[in-house]
Amino acid sequence: MELADFCLKTAKDKGATKARVTFSLSTEDLIATLNGKIDRITHCSDCSVSIALFVDGRFGSFSTNRLDHNSLEEFIGKSVNMTRMLEPDRFRDLPDPSRTEKGAVTGDELKLYDKEYLQMSPQRRKEIALKCSVFPSDGLVSEEGEYSDSVFETYVADTNGLRCLHRETSFDYGVEVTIEDAAGDKYSGYWWTSDSHFDGFHPECCGMRALENARAQIGAEAVESGKYNMVIDSEVSSKVVSPILKAINAYSLQQKNSFLTDSLGKRIFPEGVTLVDDARLEGQTGSKLFDSEGVSTPSDTIIDKGVIKKYFVNTYMSGKTGMEATVEEATRPHLLPWPAKGLDRDDILKLCGDGILVTEFNGGNSNSATGNFSYGIEGFLFKNGKIVKPVSGMLVTGNFISLWNSLIACGDDNRSCKSKLIPTLAFSNVDFSG
Amino acid sequence: MNSTFQISREQMKELVSEGLRSGGDWCDLFFEYTSYTDLLLRDGQVGSGGSHVDYGCGVRVLSGEKTGYAYSESMDFDSLKAAARAAGAISESGKKQDFTQKAIIGTGTPDYYPAASDWRQSEASSFLPYLQKLENEIRKRDSRVAKVIAMLSYEVSEVMMYNSLDELTCDSRPLGSISVQLVCSQGDKTETMTSSRSFRYGPEMLTDSLISELAGNAVKGLDERFAARRPKGGRMKVVMGAGASGILLHEAMGHAFEADFNRKGQSIFAGKIGTRICRKGINIVDDATLTGNRGSCNYDDEGVPGQKTYMVTDGVLTSYLHDRISARFFNVSPTGNGRRESFRYNPIPRMRATYMESGSDGSCSDLIASVKKGIYVDQFSNGQVKIGEGDFTFYVKSGSLIENGRLTMPVKDINIIGNGPQALADIEAVASDLEIDNGTWTCGKEQSVPVSCGIPSVLIKNLTVGGE
Repeated sequence: MELADFCLKTAKDKGATKARVTFSLSTEDLIATLNGKIDRITHCSDCSVSIALFVDGRFGSFSTNRLDHNSLEEFIGKSVNMTRMLEPDRFRDLPDPSRTEKGAVTGDELKLYDKEYLQMSPQRRKEIALKCSVFPSDGLVSEEGEYSDSVFETYVADTNGLRCLHRETSFDYGVEVTIEDAAGDKYSGYWWTSDSHFDGFHPECCGMRALENARAQIGAEAVESGKYNMVIDSEVSSKVVSPILKAINAYSLQQKNSFLTDSLGKRIFPEGVTLVDDARLEGQTGSKLFDSEGVSTPSDTIIDKGVIKKYFVNTYMSGKTGMEATVEEATRPHLLPWPAKGLDRDDILKLCGDGILVTEFNGGNSNSATGNFSYGIEGFLFKNGKIVKPVSGMLVTGNFISLWNSLIACGDDNRSCKSKLIPTLAFSNVDFSG
Repeated sequence: MNSTFQISREQMKELVSEGLRSGGDWCDLFFEYTSYTDLLLRDGQVGSGGSHVDYGCGVRVLSGEKTGYAYSESMDFDSLKAAARAAGAISESGKKQDFTQKAIIGTGTPDYYPAASDWRQSEASSFLPYLQKLENEIRKRDSRVAKVIAMLSYEVSEVMMYNSLDELTCDSRPLGSISVQLVCSQGDKTETMTSSRSFRYGPEMLTDSLISELAGNAVKGLDERFAARRPKGGRMKVVMGAGASGILLHEAMGHAFEADFNRKGQSIFAGKIGTRICRKGINIVDDATLTGNRGSCNYDDEGVPGQKTYMVTDGVLTSYLHDRISARFFNVSPTGNGRRESFRYNPIPRMRATYMESGSDGSCSDLIASVKKGIYVDQFSNGQVKIGEGDFTFYVKSGSLIENGRLTMPVKDINIIGNGPQALADIEAVASDLEIDNGTWTCGKEQSVPVSCGIPSVLIKNLTVGGE
């Protein structure tokens, strides 16, 4: 914090009219295993500062990890001089202090820091990583697991008096397995888990889940091209939500690179689509009280029963477009269940009857200006609500607006360890080819 | 005493000893000082820019095939020793073993990026006119351009590597990139176009002719893009155009040649060295030696000299891409593919400039003329591959239907999918028109590293095209 004040003072002394500094500190220890044995240990410790400078109506963004006073003073001096070389942009400014967060003082207001982190020892980390292994198992060629624990802190301060601190710990485990069938064909499977608190961290089942995922793919092939109901597993369903969030960001709108231009206040999606931003929930991964400008992140509604209620507009874009400033982006978007609470993937498969369950997207892209998309998929053909065979080598093609208007259901089964809380989704009449 | 990192050879030797104190058979140090600058033009103004400094040292200790890794952002000697001790914790045996490795190929002092001038010695303001000229040239060429975002970025990385064989290697790596993204409107239709160029040169790479080339490339094919439709999907013959289609080679085949995936038995090519994997006459190369190329390396990040490595020679799989760990495992010489994003990462096998050499089956037009019904594609994005299965999916940015040997309807917003080894085996013809694409390709296997790719026009007999 003393260093933040030093940077802000130095920036003003060197000629900046306003400035913002963001310090990022993190420490991570990682234990990787290969086939049930320790393969790699890594210790990472980082500390860097990003400095946004406003100089004579001009703007520049700088960063360094050389944090001694002499190096910082020289770096900031050069940065101010470089900013002076850029063209003026009258819309660049710090956020109005009335919009910035005042309650992020200790960094632990959201209770995302677990003191148990301090009790982690090299031996304990190795024990966790090794006990999660399922090697050897039938047909298992390779198993790569990674356990890590980390602590991350962000401190944002500006010359308008902003001071915000966020601190969180994280315990993570992920495992990828490769299996070989009798014909020598290989299949891979992955699973992971994460929690900000050690007592909520349960990695033991990951290896078996990854193995099940790989085994379930044996014999996968393309099925006949045509229109099917599409169910998207909650593990990958954010793939069809992220483009919407990007399209209602002012950067996309201002650059005319959005399929949701002029959509604010309009009913674009069906009644079943309600997307909220649960930014400030205590103890929940992804929660944060402020965005990168230090602006408060209110919990509110982004899409209400199909009506677009909010664009993401930062201070710069607000000035540039005349739109009311909000926040830079969604912090912790949550798609609410529809048509009923409590539905999980099995319930939704039964609801749909027949179709293709998508469990993985493999490549592909979408056109941000038109909303057209084409993605490679893997998953399963299901009939009468039951999975009947694995599917691979197929493509799903469509347009986001028409896809969402064929919504059948939103489940109630999102994983809380993810930063985007998107459940299992189901759509009708979707084009598959293979 | 090295002036950039304020450390002597004796001190480096001491750090290596610290890393090997608990055993282990190899220790190396990777010092890095990177200065990066970017300038952004948006809405007609170069209204934002910045510079970024990254400085530190990574310490790696190997114990057999096991890796210990840690780094320090400070050159304070106690901090460096702490990092060495943390990395050395991988060794528990207390036993020191000799590090034996097949002889390294390549000697002398390579210079694959002979920069005439230094980005760090130039004022950023001297580069602003190039971005403004780029926008002007683009708007002059096509009135349908509604928005232009152009970015110039440049960096110089000073690296120094030292290892337990007492080998000391230094390299200074320039990298300049200029890219542009357009939003274009025609009636009620909107399309985005992108183009980029990237080289390991100094500021002399910025010329009027480069700007003209980039501007022309950015709007090239815009008529076709507005006219393009999604075709009917299905399995069909595919002609891949020369140049940027090489990204398919990188993703769908190149990753499966990386030796770490083969050492762990995960790659579909594991255990297949010496076997025929495609037709005679096909050569696939990963090359660190192309002058000024974005993927070139005088030395990799383990101090191994840059090399040209034939992965496929006359249709036969002849080499994986090795770092020191995998080279020792397979008892071969390292191929100079041990690369890393920065001092924060341990090196792993990575590609450099990956391409297929020209064939002898005529021109691209000859390949198209031989296809009764199929698709021609020349720009891809967002490729993805599953290493074990070899399955890949690529989004087609631009292409055209082929009907009775002629290009007919332009196509867009589709994917092609297939299996890497099967697609290789299904190559029916290779034209003699190899092009290296000098775009801003970045490979994202665990860490981001600059690469490039290339390919001559090739005809593949059977891939799935996703459409209506």
